[in-house]
Amino acid sequence: MTRAIRWLLGAALAVAMTGTVSAQTIRFGAILPLTGPGGLIGTQQMRGIQFALQQINAKGGVRGHQIEVVFEDNQAKPDQSILSFNKLVDLQHMPMIFSAYSGPTLAMAPLATRKKVLMVNAGAQADALANASPYLINTLPTIGDEIAVLSKWLVRNGKKRAAILFENSAAGISGRDNYVKSFIAAGGTILAQEPSQFGQTDFRPALLKLADSKPDVMLVSITAAPQQMAQQYKQLDLKFAVAGTTFLQDPLLIADPAAEGFLHTQLQSQAPAELAAEFKQKFNVEMEFFVRQYYNAMNIVATALDKVLAEKKEITGENLRQAILTIRRFSGLIPVEFKTNTATVPFDLNVMRGGKDILLEELKIQ
Amino acid sequence: MLLLQLLVNGLVTGCALGMVAISFSLVFATTKIFHVAHAGVYTMAGYLTWSLITHGVPDALAMILSVAVCAIVGALIQNQLYDRLERRRATPLVVLIASLGLLAVMQNIIAAVYTPNILQFPSPWSSRMVSVGSIRLNYTQMLTVVIGLLAYVATVQFTTRSILGKRIRAVASNPFLAEITQLAPRSVYVYVIAIASALVALPGVLVPLDLGLQPYGGITPLLTATVAMIAGGVGSISGAFVVAVGIAVLQNLSLLVMPGEWSIGVTFFIFVIFMLFRPTGLFVAR
Amino acid sequence: MDFLYSYLVLAEIYVLLGLSTNLLVGIVGIFSVSQAAVFGVGAYIVAAFVMGDTLGFLPALAIAAACCVALNILATLPSLRVSGDYFVVTSFGIQLLATAVYTNWTAGTGGANGLPGIPPAKIFGHEIVETSEFLVVATIASLLGCLCFWLVLRSPYGRLLKAIREDEIAVAAAGKNVLHAKVSAAALAGAFAGSAGGLYATFLSFIDPTPFDLDASILLLTMVVVGGARTLAGSIIGPFLLLALPQILTLVDIPTTIAASMRQLIYGVLMITFMLFRPQGLAGEKL
Repeated sequence: MTRAIRWLLGAALAVAMTGTVSAQTIRFGAILPLTGPGGLIGTQQMRGIQFALQQINAKGGVRGHQIEVVFEDNQAKPDQSILSFNKLVDLQHMPMIFSAYSGPTLAMAPLATRKKVLMVNAGAQADALANASPYLINTLPTIGDEIAVLSKWLVRNGKKRAAILFENSAAGISGRDNYVKSFIAAGGTILAQEPSQFGQTDFRPALLKLADSKPDVMLVSITAAPQQMAQQYKQLDLKFAVAGTTFLQDPLLIADPAAEGFLHTQLQSQAPAELAAEFKQKFNVEMEFFVRQYYNAMNIVATALDKVLAEKKEITGENLRQAILTIRRFSGLIPVEFKTNTATVPFDLNVMRGGKDILLEELKIQ
Repeated sequence: MLLLQLLVNGLVTGCALGMVAISFSLVFATTKIFHVAHAGVYTMAGYLTWSLITHGVPDALAMILSVAVCAIVGALIQNQLYDRLERRRATPLVVLIASLGLLAVMQNIIAAVYTPNILQFPSPWSSRMVSVGSIRLNYTQMLTVVIGLLAYVATVQFTTRSILGKRIRAVASNPFLAEITQLAPRSVYVYVIAIASALVALPGVLVPLDLGLQPYGGITPLLTATVAMIAGGVGSISGAFVVAVGIAVLQNLSLLVMPGEWSIGVTFFIFVIFMLFRPTGLFVAR
Repeated sequence: MDFLYSYLVLAEIYVLLGLSTNLLVGIVGIFSVSQAAVFGVGAYIVAAFVMGDTLGFLPALAIAAACCVALNILATLPSLRVSGDYFVVTSFGIQLLATAVYTNWTAGTGGANGLPGIPPAKIFGHEIVETSEFLVVATIASLLGCLCFWLVLRSPYGRLLKAIREDEIAVAAAGKNVLHAKVSAAALAGAFAGSAGGLYATFLSFIDPTPFDLDASILLLTMVVVGGARTLAGSIIGPFLLLALPQILTLVDIPTTIAASMRQLIYGVLMITFMLFRPQGLAGEKL
């Protein structure tokens, strides 16, 4: 008899507890390339979000709400992105979606405007993204800023004749266009340009052709296979300097002796050792650039969500967006400031030496 | 000097492409199947070798084992898929789609198991450089040329001298007659695809040794190799190999006169013109 | 509802492409893997006119269709000189050449960046902005296409095409102009593909080379084979089913790290199974 009563009391207590503790799970979406040539970057981005989510939810979520992110694979294709976007917004009523890659993000931008859904991009840097939609928040600057500063530094330091190696993709071409504009504006000359196809790893013909124009420096705008490029550069015994942007920050490249002396602008985004170690332990890979970017973005969204909940407002894309722009300065893993819907992030000039990426000079954004 | 280095690079890429072309040619000429899953076998060879090497198997042994496994996989593909389709009298389009489905399966199993990241072979000897005059090559590139030429000569010898080779050519030229004269074309098909799969495993390992492993990178070399096969004349091993080397050299040299992005476009443009005016190819099939 | 509507719009656009491919591959027997390239031509032409504000949507669509008619005639001429196996490779070549042009001719096509911000279609002064409105346009277009296809199949011309596929030599011997019939069928296929392109560009308001590449051409072929070759029903079922499949597969619960490649794998397995056990597709005649 007593056992039965105890059992009943226990059950009643359990029911009561679930009643009070449960608060609705808040769901967001992410449309990333998880297969195909964009797959390796998309997977890193996904891991960044997942890592941040694990930490947030372990601490009890945001004001008691657990957060869930639903991932859709768009294979970096615009029409798949549109279908996924509509599915997440219509069927799951999501107020916020993470996106990646310039092409798909640009394709979804008009929809985001129309449906007032907040889109957060933490990876793509094509210039067109700055004005694509008022509901698109870019947590990293477009490539133009970094390249302008890099160009001035190079010319000032005697590297006046440049050749450009660029990837034939939205991001690579945006970089190339900026190099041409900024380098010439800084007083230098562009001697040659060569494209490489996104996903291919044989850079030798392009490197040879660029070398033939005898530049002081090769300006690099590629997002895939930088390590292979460096190895082939070394094998061909080429002597000119190599400079690039944050895209060059690839751990495999940095560790490779072929990259000795490579210069690049670097958005300030270091992961403290304990965080990186914890990530490595959970996911078995290094906490690379895109992981950190999307980890940071998830935390930015969580902070904005916290504000919206605190003000007892409805969780809509509009309110989340307002929250981000009002809070303006976020000091997470990567400190960012939103003067517009595209973040300004301080960046430095780094050089790769002895298998490490070392700070060469802190740069001021003009 | 630039011209010479580009020429030599073209020869290296051409030898790799040539091996893909002659292996594909063997299959297509004999079975008339557009075996796109061949690109899957090519990709698989590289990853298999990588796995063996990272588990401590010596490099050369790993390559040999991969070649053997690919031969078996090729035989299985013919036996379990293409043969079944043929027994149901499937049309070429149906077989093509099945082969494409198989390619998708193979590429995605690899992507799921190994992740889509570019993987490097842990073989330091492969990137040691050699200078011949002003030309610089690494060991892998030299090995590609040597193995490519050997594979070419061996295949030609095999098809013209050996009994199985002659049987293959007989089946290729007239399957109906071969059936009647008890040459057993169906088992010949199995041999052919097995041999071709073993052959394509060679560039499947050599190219990633130099340039890195990727799950989805097999289709482009396959298509270029197909162009070489047709332009060289279906059924001609020499044609396929020579034209493959020619295409690779042309693509490299074309950089001297035009922007790099057009080199692939030009290849296919020339090919289309070719098909309009000389569809049987440069070397007429024997 | 927008999710359902956008799926329907895309499915209907692909129905037009399915009709085009079915006409070319199923009925005339020209084994083409370059239909996506023609689709692209239609899309880029309409985008160019509409973005530059030089022509309205409907006239631009007409011009795009006309260009694709001409293009298809040119592209299929080699097939008439060269046998089936060889034409596949020529067709591969045409497709890859087209992708190279789309990716590199930045002045005309925006290159790899694509063309963002294509303004919505303006039909008789009314701007088609909402997905539900576009659904009406797409439905009308696809119905017109289906009607056209159906009429062609039942006409004497359709019977001629069928006869040509079954025994070309006999038809020629009977004094019918085989070349003329084949070329005009290819032309019609071009018109369908070009119109689909124009609709696609204005619906998505962004195009880049990705939907017009080799993978897309292969998807079109798969739609026709799975849906069923040579029939109207097949041209409709194929696109609807194959567009729904990736979405249906997302309902299958798989750990996210390998989810995407697993789904592609399932897609591949389905293709193989279909070819092994039902090659005539769901609603078609044996190819």
